[in-house]
Amino acid sequence: MSTGEGTRTGSGTLLAFALRRDRVRLPVWVAGGAVLMAVQSTGNQAVFGTPAELAAFRATIGSNAAAIALGGPPVGLDTIGGVVAFRSSFVFTLVAALMAMTTVVRHTRADEEAGRTELVRATRVGRHAPLLAAVALSALGCVALALGLGVAAAVTGLPAGGAFLFGASIGALGLVFTGVAAVAAQVTGSARAALGLTGTVFGIAAVLRAVGDIEGNGWSWASPIGWSQAAHPWSDDRWTPLLLSLAAAVVLPVVARALLDHRDLGAGLLQPRPGRPTATRALGSPLGLAWRLQRGALAGWAVGLVVLGLVYGWFAGSVEDLLAGNAAIRQFLPSSADLVDSYLATTLSITALLAGAYAVAAALRARGEEASGRAEPVLATATGRVRWLASHLAVALAGSAALLVVGGAAMGLAAAAAVGDGALAGRLVGGALAYVPAVWVLAGAAAALFGLLPRAAAALAWAAVAYVVVVTLFAESFDWPRWVSDASPLAWTPSVPAEAATAGSALGLLAVAAVLLAAGSAGFRRRDLLTE
Amino acid sequence: MTTAISVSGLVKTFGSVRALDGLDLEVGTGEVHGFLGPNGAGKSTTIRVLLGLLRADAGRVRLLDGDPWHDAVALHRRLAYVPGDVTLWPAITGGEAIDLLGRLQGGFDPTRRAELLERYDLDPRKKARTYSKGNRQKVALVAALASDAELYVLDEPTSGLDPLMEAAFRDDVRRLRHEGRTVLLSSHILAEAEALCDRVSIIRHGRTVQSGSLSELRHLTRTAMAVETVRPVTGLADLPGVHDLRADGSRARFDADTDALDGVVRHLTGFGIRSLTSSPPTLEELFLRHYGEDLPEAAPDHAPEAVRS
Repeated sequence: MSTGEGTRTGSGTLLAFALRRDRVRLPVWVAGGAVLMAVQSTGNQAVFGTPAELAAFRATIGSNAAAIALGGPPVGLDTIGGVVAFRSSFVFTLVAALMAMTTVVRHTRADEEAGRTELVRATRVGRHAPLLAAVALSALGCVALALGLGVAAAVTGLPAGGAFLFGASIGALGLVFTGVAAVAAQVTGSARAALGLTGTVFGIAAVLRAVGDIEGNGWSWASPIGWSQAAHPWSDDRWTPLLLSLAAAVVLPVVARALLDHRDLGAGLLQPRPGRPTATRALGSPLGLAWRLQRGALAGWAVGLVVLGLVYGWFAGSVEDLLAGNAAIRQFLPSSADLVDSYLATTLSITALLAGAYAVAAALRARGEEASGRAEPVLATATGRVRWLASHLAVALAGSAALLVVGGAAMGLAAAAAVGDGALAGRLVGGALAYVPAVWVLAGAAAALFGLLPRAAAALAWAAVAYVVVVTLFAESFDWPRWVSDASPLAWTPSVPAEAATAGSALGLLAVAAVLLAAGSAGFRRRDLLTE
Repeated sequence: MTTAISVSGLVKTFGSVRALDGLDLEVGTGEVHGFLGPNGAGKSTTIRVLLGLLRADAGRVRLLDGDPWHDAVALHRRLAYVPGDVTLWPAITGGEAIDLLGRLQGGFDPTRRAELLERYDLDPRKKARTYSKGNRQKVALVAALASDAELYVLDEPTSGLDPLMEAAFRDDVRRLRHEGRTVLLSSHILAEAEALCDRVSIIRHGRTVQSGSLSELRHLTRTAMAVETVRPVTGLADLPGVHDLRADGSRARFDADTDALDGVVRHLTGFGIRSLTSSPPTLEELFLRHYGEDLPEAAPDHAPEAVRS
């Protein structure tokens, strides 16, 4: 840290303060990642006890487009470590990217938006110090995550060399997205937009590496996720690809610093244009307001799910080339004679997970409005609490259902074109709709938490989403106890098109969602309005 | 006089903090009532209870003959509110926010909206993220003042306004009073309360410490007097109601209780008055008397700052 009076003055103090602010948050990310690593390590060692089992896995899943799209490049599958890396590296890169982007944006654009940066910058603090402190904080988190993953893998019995390389590859991805988020925080004018932009970059990186690994061409090298996965831990043990990540991790913050010098405090790079002097007729009700506040985010999610659906649907053509009929494949894909249907059922469940995440984010918007104080003037008008909450929940419920429909339709159309079976389009839309009740249970859980435990609602609701994601991706292949997966609403949804849809479980899930929504509404009616 | 707001024994706790501790508040219909107290005294908490945003732990709260918690929506149709700390939606323009809040409230006068935008010099096309604190406050003020309400609840509405805008605001409050509407004006700016309010309530640590009309309260305050006499004044210190006497030959300065004024002046005439100045009692002094004991040796020059900070 600079000791002179330069643009970086105060970075050290700010970093110490940021560490204090995140003294719970960052350790939770690192510990969560380490626990997930230990689960992956022990789970895979239990399933693949013999070389024959590994060989069977190699012959089926290792060449399955769905597994490659959701995992990593099929290399090193003759070792358990290689299998762990193949199956879980993508999920860990997602964890690292989420940790890095939320950390950086929280300490840069979000502080700036709230006016805290102005207060800090008016003291003896240099222009670049807040950015530098945020990047340094996130980098420390990435290093801690890398070490945590390495230790967790090594102590659960995987070779230590590969373990720490795997950890380093995930940490390196986190460093890259630390830089991406740092740039996004300069370009956009709000924390929400900065997170959206960084998430979009991650989505593009994920698609690039999926295409590259499935088609076996060089596209993976255009993706930071591809760089991390090119380390091939527990097989080739290559450290050199991570130099690409490190280079990006250095260049991106430098770019961010240059952008910072070309904008005003509080503003993005794009100057805001004047807006409407009067409100349209639509903006005259709580529902109109909720729609206005949430429509941008919904459009972003819709674009993401359509792109994902088109890509996943198109790969249905590759699945046909697969070897069929091996029992081991059922550990990853739902039981079905038809491999294409199995593949699409799995990718559809990914769409459902994303729709569930959207539903929770949209339902939690009510808490964001309340915590920021923006709910107060609205609730001081002739707008009842139930109606106000219902408006945000209506957007969450209708929006998540719409996402499932467009995501399923995109996947169905692409798959229909790739496989040459026109009926697939309709079947996948139907299959996506079958997930609506389960996704609504997640929205209901967020609503119930909002009403009953408002201060903890966001953390607990996202923990529920994380649980459902882990269970949906891994519970079946690791033979976890039934109750573990039964606690997830998605487990109660038949895997259409591989399984037939049933009305019973759908009605049950809808009833659970209704009870949760009612509990949230009742709780909110009885409690104080809580601002932060 | 009918009652617009009636609060007695109001208690509100947040965890172990007792924010309101048996607060009383009576506001008559058609009056402009000043709700005074330093930061953290419980003004905003009281207002949030009155709006049904917080639930009272104990006490009786009536607002426009209704229960603010159970009849919130029906009561809100009849009132307009300006929060103390106005936060708006960053991507929504000021004009849109005004329209939205006006429509949600119910009654809303577009002509008055246009007048108010001009009077408060507010550009309605700007997104709220680009507004200053004062401009955000103007958005809330315009939305409230353009609506047709019986009761206006204004929580420190001028804390971000410049003096010109403050003058415009005072005109608006006088217009509301002229129209027979009730205003609850929370403030820690005493000059504002003195200029606008019929009655005031002063609270401290969640309790009402003083309530009444301005003249009643002034009665409780002291008048600062400076006198020059032909012969040096003696015996002043022994008079009841004389405080802080500083005598220097033929000049004397002291504070006198309002009800002791008559006797003091009578006493002074015996020494041949050459000049006599008296500064009228202000709420500020009353305020300082109530809060001053927290201040170490409250120096008159610094004390008002301390109260405001």
